Amino acid sequence: MGRYIARRLIYLVVVLLVVSFITFTLMHSVPGGPFSREKALPKEILENLNKRYHLDEPYAVQYFRYLNDVMLPHFSTKAPVFGSLADDFLINIKLGPVYLRWMNFGPSFTSRSRTVNDIFRQQLPISMQLGFMAVLVGMLIGVPLGTLAALKQNTIFDYLGMSVAIFGVSVPVIVLGPILIWIFGVTLKWLPPTGWGAKPPYVLGLLPAKLGWDFFKYAILPAIALGLGSSAILARLTRASLLQVIREDYIRTARAKGLKESMIIVRHALKNSLIPVVTVLGPIFAAVTTGSFVTELTFGIPGMGKYFVTSITNRDYPVIMGTILLYAVFLVVANLLVDIVYAFLDPRIRYE
Amino acid sequence: MRSKSYFVFALLLVATMLLTACQQAATPIVQTVVVEKEGKTEILVVTATPAPQEPAPAGPKVLYTNFKTQGDVPSLDPAVAEDTASIQMIEELNVGLARLNEEDVTIVPGIAESWDISDDGLTYTFHLRQDVPWVKYNGTEVVKVQNCEGADRLVTAQDFEYGFLRTLKPETASPYAYVLAFAVAGAADYNNAKTDDPTTVGVKALDEATLEVKFLEDAAYNINIISLWTGYAQPKWLIEGDDCTDARGERWTETGFNQSYGPFALKEWVHDSFIALAKNPFWPGSDEIPVPTLDEINFTMLDETAAFAEYEAGNLDVILQVPQSDIDRVKADPVLSAEYVQSPALSTYYYGFNITAPVVDDVRVRRALSMAVDRQGLIDNVTKGGQEPAQWFCRPGLIACPTVADMPDLGVKFDPTEAKKLMDEYLAEKGLTVDQLDLTLMFNTSSGHQKIAEAIQQMWKDNLGVTVKLVNQEWKVYLETIKSADTPQIWRLGWNLDYPDTNNFDREVVAAGGSSNPTDENGVGTGGFFWKNDKYEELVKLAASEKDLAKRTDLYAQAEKILVWDDAVMIPIYWYTNLHTTKPYVTRTFSNTGAEHFEKWDINK
Repeated sequence: MGRYIARRLIYLVVVLLVVSFITFTLMHSVPGGPFSREKALPKEILENLNKRYHLDEPYAVQYFRYLNDVMLPHFSTKAPVFGSLADDFLINIKLGPVYLRWMNFGPSFTSRSRTVNDIFRQQLPISMQLGFMAVLVGMLIGVPLGTLAALKQNTIFDYLGMSVAIFGVSVPVIVLGPILIWIFGVTLKWLPPTGWGAKPPYVLGLLPAKLGWDFFKYAILPAIALGLGSSAILARLTRASLLQVIREDYIRTARAKGLKESMIIVRHALKNSLIPVVTVLGPIFAAVTTGSFVTELTFGIPGMGKYFVTSITNRDYPVIMGTILLYAVFLVVANLLVDIVYAFLDPRIRYE
Repeated sequence: MRSKSYFVFALLLVATMLLTACQQAATPIVQTVVVEKEGKTEILVVTATPAPQEPAPAGPKVLYTNFKTQGDVPSLDPAVAEDTASIQMIEELNVGLARLNEEDVTIVPGIAESWDISDDGLTYTFHLRQDVPWVKYNGTEVVKVQNCEGADRLVTAQDFEYGFLRTLKPETASPYAYVLAFAVAGAADYNNAKTDDPTTVGVKALDEATLEVKFLEDAAYNINIISLWTGYAQPKWLIEGDDCTDARGERWTETGFNQSYGPFALKEWVHDSFIALAKNPFWPGSDEIPVPTLDEINFTMLDETAAFAEYEAGNLDVILQVPQSDIDRVKADPVLSAEYVQSPALSTYYYGFNITAPVVDDVRVRRALSMAVDRQGLIDNVTKGGQEPAQWFCRPGLIACPTVADMPDLGVKFDPTEAKKLMDEYLAEKGLTVDQLDLTLMFNTSSGHQKIAEAIQQMWKDNLGVTVKLVNQEWKVYLETIKSADTPQIWRLGWNLDYPDTNNFDREVVAAGGSSNPTDENGVGTGGFFWKNDKYEELVKLAASEKDLAKRTDLYAQAEKILVWDDAVMIPIYWYTNLHTTKPYVTRTFSNTGAEHFEKWDINK
């Protein structure tokens, strides 16, 4: 297993190289640049800007400069310069007299006072907090609903459950979000309509400093809005998969052995039926924890989501590269976790 | 069995519709209380509803509002800011040498109490007030900043000199440095790195209280340019560090470090979330820039729809931009409509012609297309924001821009009969029929521009019989297209002021070499209008140096007639408005310059 994980992590580096190369090529081949304006900037001003961000160098030099900044560790005897946006590394470790510094995603062109690392430090934790809760909501609603629907196939429970699932899939957040805000935020005033209950600094760089009602009251509506869509997918998958499993011979064997029905369902049927569910959970997890544009916009949550979109419309090259590489890392790691979970769910799966 | 599941689904669907319907069904009592006062400034004023009398609170006065734009404020650094949200914050944190009165758009003293202008009009000597301390928020309150000897740091002419030079320095890469560079002597060469000697720039601190600025032209708007945010004082000790201050470099504007000297100080900036400004009690105040009454202002960075929900929930006191989709509902709602005000925004929405392209290379076609646009109809039925039909390009309210009240017949108006006549004349001469005309209108992808383009497409169809193709492109791709040889026959743009002078519109945007009319080194058009009219060029140049306001206005009126009528190189469509909603307990001013001056606001909850 250890060797398998190590091998997959090496693949991750290859994936990142390929993704970064494709992204770099694509974003530079799209017309328009980060500094094109309605009122075009004079040539001299553009030269100053291009020089500052090294955009006056050949593409190959720019690309390798980026790889060097982001992927290779740097050793320096000089302490990091605080006020420089060009010198902001995500990881700074002091090893005796030497500083080990790694991952400089560069300054944002649009937010002149921030770096991509600032966005990762301040906005990513919020998206991850929301994403975790949304996946949790999705699983807590989806899996029991799917199970119920499968066990009570062709009854009112089945139809009701699947109707909820269809509702969840077909009503997008852009519709559901404002409805929830209108009902619970504006009319009933039970919950705040928008906002997020945590701000930097975060515990372990991820968790809010205080976990309480003041945090969760902001999270309830967006987590439901975002989680409902995935709960629907999970419910349908659980139902389909469980329906197949409960017809298997080993379930009949278990019944024949006289095991309790609840034991049969939880230990044998459900566990085996979870493989397809876990498979989709990986990509869902990567997608919602790196930020969801519409949900965050609707509920005014200062997360990562909008950077995936605005960075492209602004041609903010470092932010485009940063967000896409981030998503790639999350996707690969989530799928790796899925593969590891397979081994626990199905003893026949072994990685050696 | 299947039908049963459909039945349940249908029930749910109906339930959803009901919920959605609830959202729409605001009380449908139409009570329009917005009245138009055709005064000089053309400000639209709301008939006030009496504010509910409630006991004044003992606590601090905190105003909650939002930004007009989405997302994080890009920068609080005067040297690199270029967008309205950043400038709004910087103008409340700092004050320039002079300042614009946001209501009547006149220049009033800022940090400079007075200034002398040399006889040739090129050298300005500013006399700075000596009682303005630098301040910062220390985590609990706003405090004065001390120097290494323990004395208060006061704003000096040297701070302004440093600010100018830092903005102009090539390494700063300031996008707006060019505005200084084209007006101030020596600034361009320093900014282009032709020289690295800052003493060649025409900005010098003669002593702590006196700043001398040398300009290139004797222009009426010199004072406007020198008072832009790019020329604000900047704290050298904080940016570069000194014996008792850590250098904060490009991060000097962050929470905890920021130092400023205007009516407000930065309390907290949580990126992507909000900016809180605290009253600066050490701001000495003046007639024009009083000590603020508000103790704190909280600007949230919500999407406009989310912000409006917060306003309706009572969590925001003022909305500076009501979402387009909510305007009908706001106007119909008895409470919201009383809180709703339209005020002029100094921006213009227009279509430009590539006058070298087929068909629109004939002025009759261009004028016919322009006259066939029913601007009022478009505003009433499509944009709905109370915009004003534009008869020319510069936005009335700008210094020296003609107003409709003074010159009702200037420019172009909706006249379908005359338009049809012109078009028929053109067709007869060319021996063409109307469906042989091949016309394309291009705009950048956006549902708002799409709606306007479709409405105008229909007007052209109805009034002229012309069928125009609509094409759209993503914003940055579009910008490249309309500034290249591929510029389509008709294209869309808008212009929002940099500084409130007609020069910024009529010369910097549309004259040859302007931003919508780019030229190469030899002055040959490379995109946009592809237009050069010597008479027009002469008029806008004359107007720039004319000191008499009435004469300037007249020169611009002549220029506008050439632009929108004689040569008809553009279709002015509408002049923008700001759509605010304000809770009745807020006392406020309405800015015509883009940035609100919150030091004049009050709140009585």
